Amino acid sequence: MARVGVFVCFCGANIADYVDVPQVVEEVKRIKEVKYAVEYKYMCSDPGQGLIRDAIVQNKLTSIVVAACSPRMHEKTFRKALSDAGMNPYLLEVANIREHSSWVHQKDKKAATEKAMDLCRMAVAKSIANEQLHEISVPVTKRALVIGGGIAGIQAALDIADARIPVVLVEKSPSIGGKMAQLDETFPTLDCAQCILTPKMVDVASHPYIELIPYAEVLELQGFVGNYKVKIKKKASYVNFKTCTGCGACWQKCPVKVPNEYNMGIDKRKAIYTPFPQAVPNKPVIDAEHCTMLTKGKCGICKKVCLPGAIDYEMQDEIIEREVGAVVVATGYDMWDPTPYEEYGVGRFKDIITSLEFERMVSANGPTNGVPQRPSDGKVPKNVVFIKCVGSRDEAKGIEYCSKICCMYTTKHTILLHHKVHDSHAYVFYMDIRAAGKGYEEFVKKAQVDTGTTYLRGRVSKIYKKGDKLMVRGEDAQIGQVVEVEADLVVLATAVSAPKDNPELARLLGISYDKYGYLSEAHPKLRPVETAKAGIFLAGCTQAPKDIPETVSQASACAAKVCGLFAGDTMKKDPMVSTINNEYCSGCQNCVKVCPYGAIVTDEVPIGHGSKELRTVAKINEGVCQGCGSCVAICRSMAINLAGFTDPQIINEIVSI
Amino acid sequence: MKKLTYFPGCSAHGTSEEFDSTLKLVLKTLDVVLEDIPDWNCCGATSAHVMTENLAYALPMRNLVLAEKLENTTMGIACASCYQRMKVTKVHMDENPELAKRINTTVVEEGTYQGKVDVKSMLQYFYEDIGVETIREKVTKSLAGLKVACYYGCLLTRPKNITNFDSPEYPVSMDQICEALGATATEFDYKTECCGASFSISNTEVVLNLSGQILAMAKESGAHAIVVACPLCQSNLDMRQPDIEKQQGIKYDIPVFYITQLMALAFGNPIDQLKFPKHIVPVEGALANIGKVSPVPEKVKKPIKAVEAESEVK
Ligand SMILES: Cc1cc2nc3c(=O)[nH]c(=O)nc-3n(C[C@H](O)[C@H](O)[C@H](O)COP(=O)(O)OP(=O)(O)OC[C@H]3O[C@@H](n4cnc5c(N)ncnc54)[C@H](O)[C@@H]3O)c2cc1C
Ligand code: SF4
Ligand code: SF4
Repeated sequence: MARVGVFVCFCGANIADYVDVPQVVEEVKRIKEVKYAVEYKYMCSDPGQGLIRDAIVQNKLTSIVVAACSPRMHEKTFRKALSDAGMNPYLLEVANIREHSSWVHQKDKKAATEKAMDLCRMAVAKSIANEQLHEISVPVTKRALVIGGGIAGIQAALDIADARIPVVLVEKSPSIGGKMAQLDETFPTLDCAQCILTPKMVDVASHPYIELIPYAEVLELQGFVGNYKVKIKKKASYVNFKTCTGCGACWQKCPVKVPNEYNMGIDKRKAIYTPFPQAVPNKPVIDAEHCTMLTKGKCGICKKVCLPGAIDYEMQDEIIEREVGAVVVATGYDMWDPTPYEEYGVGRFKDIITSLEFERMVSANGPTNGVPQRPSDGKVPKNVVFIKCVGSRDEAKGIEYCSKICCMYTTKHTILLHHKVHDSHAYVFYMDIRAAGKGYEEFVKKAQVDTGTTYLRGRVSKIYKKGDKLMVRGEDAQIGQVVEVEADLVVLATAVSAPKDNPELARLLGISYDKYGYLSEAHPKLRPVETAKAGIFLAGCTQAPKDIPETVSQASACAAKVCGLFAGDTMKKDPMVSTINNEYCSGCQNCVKVCPYGAIVTDEVPIGHGSKELRTVAKINEGVCQGCGSCVAICRSMAINLAGFTDPQIINEIVSI
Repeated sequence: MKKLTYFPGCSAHGTSEEFDSTLKLVLKTLDVVLEDIPDWNCCGATSAHVMTENLAYALPMRNLVLAEKLENTTMGIACASCYQRMKVTKVHMDENPELAKRINTTVVEEGTYQGKVDVKSMLQYFYEDIGVETIREKVTKSLAGLKVACYYGCLLTRPKNITNFDSPEYPVSMDQICEALGATATEFDYKTECCGASFSISNTEVVLNLSGQILAMAKESGAHAIVVACPLCQSNLDMRQPDIEKQQGIKYDIPVFYITQLMALAFGNPIDQLKFPKHIVPVEGALANIGKVSPVPEKVKKPIKAVEAESEVK
């Protein structure tokens, strides 16, 4: 007869405050198969696990029920405790009395306790029918896909490739580098972004283990951890990168001018262009939307001037496939569009710019040669007002969250302004100064002293024009008065927002995203770089706004995760997969249609013993099967068995309550 | 011929009589017939909504219910405060049928509120239902030469989720109508600042300060006159102007027109019907600019930031 042990956890106060744990223990003791039941404060702790190990040995238990938090949290922990005591780990059942009872029924302790008892009874009943199961080994494709080539994608790709694991890096734009390539100097140490970034970009291009696919998008991802197949669209660049030498004759001669994205539209680029001189790869692409040859069939100049004959107006988009075992998503962020701030006159006043526009202006390689200018008349501004939290922390017009980086980069901007225009004066309107980070507060303090910037605590309520100046009216909460500052230039520290295409990307990858469009991590504290889908990881701002140090740390963490995943030649997988009993299978193939993972194919078997005639049956690839159970439910012949969730187990559960 | 349900409100018969009478001239040209709400009552502004919720909703609701007895689907309101009370009530009742039912128990005799009639300010009616182009076509005497600062005040476009019309911060509908009349609308950043509203009576200092800033900015923008669509704005900016001038020691001399006065003028109505003598600040100086079109176009400085793509390909 079965000998079940039940271990009920207090989870500190999480469970014990709302569920009467001792009473649950008393109740389960009344089930005849339960030979041992006990409560403990933290079952997941080492003494808690020791309790389980000892009880298994001393009481000769045959299955274990742990009534605690969600199995997503600690199932692995408790399975290991079973193994350590010499028991098959799959003889464990977890009754989730925290998420499913104490947390959701906090107002009614009696009901929560009763529900916890029911959950325990079900788990005990199920565990009696548990069978010994063994992990499955599946082969792994040791190649990683990195989506997005900002500093996050670059760092992740380099770290993985340095471990001699091949990487496919897919970047949407013509060059890698992301936003960091647009920055001048970087807080908190003021080293030049280009100087620390471009060597890494070059390393990516020349790394023997990295395949860089620029100007491309991921279209489809199929398969499962260790064995994904990815479809990538290489957008037509109309330039043959193999023959192009990067001489630049084409873009010098191209007559079409288009606002230059790299410089935030402050100057123009040509229809055939490299985004910036240090671009990687340093080859031009033709912007099909603006090239008059492609839109109207007129021009063709670049082809005429290109000596190696690299221009090809007939080039088409190309779809390629790669097999990878893991994916790192590093699609970065967008800048929030401040148009809703109509009271600031955004869009009407030319001398209101965003922080990234300011960043381009003060950049040595920027459109104004590193000296800020007023867009209206090209004059060098003397009085500059910086407004923080534009769009951030604003439920009415923008987004609720704090964008995290603006306090720091605005401080940086006051320093850069001071460096470039010595007789300038900066004013910063702020709600708080959030400078948490190594050396950050010191950086802010020093900047305040060195630059003599006037910090005004309060929101700006209005900007209006007076002559050629902008009058910035806001509250100075420290003196409790409305103040007006006369500005030559106003810089808005606009919020960081999630990339617009993130929801679509998340859908095609099968991962989740939050209400803002940021991709969701599996656990905010303990699994911050993993997604809920095995083998897909997150790096950089695509998960939440963050600065470069944090982005790089997360990227390296992703690389460590990928390397860990690829440590063996095969990968261990839970044995909760479906199998088909050929004798019952009628070959209707309904299961093939419902399987969301494409794990079921058909097979031919003899119609009877020794017969030569064949009939069709379904066959499940256990490597692909994720144990969702859809096939079990659809099979009218009851030919499918899902290990760990067999009919006897489920029926036992139902009968127990 | 178009028909429009009309809620005149109390000021149409008093302080803003010139708004009401020129509105009627304008609508005659536009071939719109007004049908007054039979037995209409006070909208409740500005006291009811600070006193009791029930009264604040019940007074406008009675008008809305009575308006449903006419065939028209839109109610036009000249006074911005009346418009505000009526529109707030309509939106809240439509959003919350439970509340509507409760308030309706006060307005029993008139019938059940159904939410059939839309509420628009006259400015919104001109802009959305008549259209700037139609207005342009009706102009027989262009106002070219006249520079105006269009002042909307706080109620015509706010709050956005109630009015659902134009921009709450930088509206342009009145500017476009004035331009259709031939006038030039100046770039006026104070078009939605507060004029001080009914503090005019209880705390005049506030109005002198706030309306004073509006006058200063209108002058700064280069306007000869201010145009409004709200009786309270008009009276604060016009009637209080001499006091403001005295206090600030600045002579503004900037008349404050109702939009309908300028429309009626541009539609060719004789000047003696436009009630200009009712104004405190004389209008003649401003009107003298009509016809004086400055021959030199204003110099446009070349910005370093150009956003549209351009091609040199011929
Ligand atoms: C004005 C300003 C100043 C700043 N200054 C500093 C500073 O001084 N110090 C500091 O530490 N941080 C600073 N930051 C923050 C810094 O920019 C970010 O921390 C960093 O760029 C984040 O890198 P990322 O790779 O996550 O994102 P990104 O730089 O946005 O890179 C994302 C990349 O992914 C690509 N991509 C997007 N979608 C797809 C897709 N679907 N498929 C393929 N590719 C895709 C993009 O084209 C891009 O190349 C500043 C930010 C701003 C706005
Ligand atoms: S001219 Fe030809 S070789 Fe030179 S950069 Fe252009 S495409 Fe490349
Ligand atoms: S063909 Fe297109 S890209 Fe080439 S020069 Fe002409 S416009 Fe520029």
